[in-house]
Amino acid sequence: MRDLHLSLNQTQRVRLEAALHELQSLTPAAASAAAVTVADTIPVNQEDNILKGHGTSDQDGEVVATLCGVVERVNKLVYVRTLRARYKPEVGDIIVGRVIEIAPKRWRLEINFSQDAVLMLSSMNLPDGIQRRRTAVDELNMRSIFEENDVICAEVRGFQHDGSLHLQARSEKYGKLERGQLLTVPPYLVKRKKQHFHHLAQYDVDLILGCNGFIWVGEHVVVDEKVKATEDQQKSSDEAENFTPLETRKHICRLANAVRVLSALGFTLTVELIIETAEASASSNVEVNDMLGAEFYVQTAEREAKRRADLLRKKNGAR
Amino acid sequence: MSAQAGTGTYSPAAASGDKRRERREELRRHLAEDADWPRADGRSFHDCRPAFMQTGPTTAASGSAYAEFGKTKVIVSVFGPRESKKAMMYSDVGRLNCNVSYTTFATPVRGQGADNKEYSSMLHKALEGAVMLHTFPKTTVDVFALVLESGGSDLPIIISCASLALADAGIMMYDLVTSVSVSCFGKNIIIDPTSDEEAWQDGSLMVAFMPARKEITQLTLTGEWSDGKITNAVELCMDACSKLGEILRDRLKDTATLTNE
Amino acid sequence: MVGLSEGEKHFIRGGIAQDIRTDGRRRLQFRALSVETGVIPQANGSARVRLGATEIIASVKAELGKPSILHPDKGKVSIFVDCSPTAEPTFEGRGSEELSAELSVALQRCLLGGKSGAGAAIDLSSLIVVEGKVCWDLYIDGLVVSSDGNLLDALATAIKVALSDTGLPKVNVSLSAASDEEPEVDVSDEEFLQFDTSSVPVIITLTKVGRHYIVDATSEEESQMSSAVSVSVNRNGQICGLTKRGGAGLDPSVIFDMISVARHASQQFIALVDSQIAAAEADE
Repeated sequence: MRDLHLSLNQTQRVRLEAALHELQSLTPAAASAAAVTVADTIPVNQEDNILKGHGTSDQDGEVVATLCGVVERVNKLVYVRTLRARYKPEVGDIIVGRVIEIAPKRWRLEINFSQDAVLMLSSMNLPDGIQRRRTAVDELNMRSIFEENDVICAEVRGFQHDGSLHLQARSEKYGKLERGQLLTVPPYLVKRKKQHFHHLAQYDVDLILGCNGFIWVGEHVVVDEKVKATEDQQKSSDEAENFTPLETRKHICRLANAVRVLSALGFTLTVELIIETAEASASSNVEVNDMLGAEFYVQTAEREAKRRADLLRKKNGAR
Repeated sequence: MSAQAGTGTYSPAAASGDKRRERREELRRHLAEDADWPRADGRSFHDCRPAFMQTGPTTAASGSAYAEFGKTKVIVSVFGPRESKKAMMYSDVGRLNCNVSYTTFATPVRGQGADNKEYSSMLHKALEGAVMLHTFPKTTVDVFALVLESGGSDLPIIISCASLALADAGIMMYDLVTSVSVSCFGKNIIIDPTSDEEAWQDGSLMVAFMPARKEITQLTLTGEWSDGKITNAVELCMDACSKLGEILRDRLKDTATLTNE
Repeated sequence: MVGLSEGEKHFIRGGIAQDIRTDGRRRLQFRALSVETGVIPQANGSARVRLGATEIIASVKAELGKPSILHPDKGKVSIFVDCSPTAEPTFEGRGSEELSAELSVALQRCLLGGKSGAGAAIDLSSLIVVEGKVCWDLYIDGLVVSSDGNLLDALATAIKVALSDTGLPKVNVSLSAASDEEPEVDVSDEEFLQFDTSSVPVIITLTKVGRHYIVDATSEEESQMSSAVSVSVNRNGQICGLTKRGGAGLDPSVIFDMISVARHASQQFIALVDSQIAAAEADE
């Protein structure tokens, strides 16, 4: 848990510590036993042909850790998994990125990874929807599809031979994201699930949990009308009529603040948890911006501790 | 910007200059001649200051560490690996960029907060040997050290703190780097000097050491030393570095248990 | 500072127009403020202030010096701001020079008052030890550790808190000095005189986005501003300094309106800062 930069009064501090302590006691104890730091020797059985994986190196015949984390063993593979892991892209991941550069026939995106990702022009659907070869005119018109600083949702297509990451955005649900806000959270808080696009009908809000730690919360955009909508927006000059309606905006802000609170507390982000936190704040009449205050932090921690304890009790009871 | 402190200004400390000079001379004589004399803060010649280290003071950075050794306070933030901004030629090893800067209130005499280029390059050399640069090709890791208070033995503490921050950031390393310096006074060697002691030293020796691998990544020496003295001093340093390495390990294990979910 | 897409900019502008910003605040609400004193033990006074994600450390150092010939009955104060590379990668080396200079000048304008010394945050004549010969020089340093918008307000708050934490050592002057000799001064290590910071003003920066103004802009909101006005107000509601930043021109009526809005917002903010200072002192 990183330092929470909030001024808590005495009672709040005590409550928060109690909640965090309870959460810690609920985690399996076995995990801490396998923790290693840099240059620790990893105990291996010398007779098996152990494969030395990520985060290990060979020194004088011994397997030595080069990272701080937890040792994982899978069959013959031994590797070190860092706890606050950097984002590790896998094929098929849904990610959200920001365009930083337009290069010949491709866009370069920043995705919270050590390198920038590449979205080829050929991996992107053309505005008119026809499947055809990209011509030089298309290349010159790249800016009309995506500009610098645009926020885009895409899928990881694969790695190239030089190690760079390639993306594709062929399906209708990928593409430019507008009318909302982008949040950055540590990537290890977003676990890979079946669904990353969530349309919250009760709020009329789209929530996209990018595996790279970029989370998009925005107004719901109906997929088929996306293309038409952008054209209309460009034509109309009077902005005021195009602003997101107030109710939707309130929900967007509430959900965004829920994400901020949960990521500051270091809890894994799932849609259910985010919605639960947002609803808890609405039902206890916490003002939207007070969600970032000390009282709500402590309440969220307590709520989560209680939820996990209940879950554990149910699991133990069911056995 | 205001004028610097000229001949007309003087800090309160210098007001009783004569008395302090006398006391310093006496201390120096004791340190040079006596076999064992309690130092200004009560330590013996071969005791280091109690080390307080902590990870995670800067949430915006990939990794960070704070170190407090007596009156020396340093904070180091590590960013990266991130894309090399400058149009660098393709390289299959990563780049390590180190920057050490002093705050304006770090020294007792107020000075301009400046980037200390010499310390930056020495920090780079000390860490270079330990970081596995080939694991992050084409990208850069930035190490920013900020000295909040300078109380002696600054560079060794910066190096130890930087290696803790790098481990916290998850950068692959062969081993942690810890560093300790000694001052020599006459025939005596004292370890981990404070800024008062450093001001009057006859010579100094700084060692940056990888405790588990038992390799020295950097060694600097000033003043006049005999062979025997150097061997003693280096051994003393390596022993202290190993102990400091244990403290860093404990700190990292603590962080590991905390973030477990 | 990352760029923003058109869609995001549109969203931010909409939020400000509808009085519900991206983190749910209203236009005239500040972010959470947290204050700590005494973080730099070797300075005479220090403070660390967090306003949302913006973090500032301020320190006050006092040294004995000679007063200037033009003002033999006044001490000297100088303010200097430094931006650390931990806040932004572009602040490394000389990258932050322009910003630091701009912030230092704005703070000096707001806190040092007119040439005659009227309206200054600190009464300079209280810094004099021996008229014409010895006075206190105050060096106030601000360090930007983390930057998420509204640096000027956070710096002014940090300076105010640091000054409230400052203690000047008592100086005993030997009376036997001849009129043209340097007098003997004995600086006591024991007794300290605390500063009275009730007259230190705070700075409220109003950022104009579209047709509305907001206080305490984050760096995303600042990127959308057409112009900003920083107003320094003290406890009595008097204006102690004003700086306009940003390119676009402003109608004079808008500026007067901004001044009155700032005055109103400042009263709450001053109350908040004072209560935080009291809480921090009680903790020690």
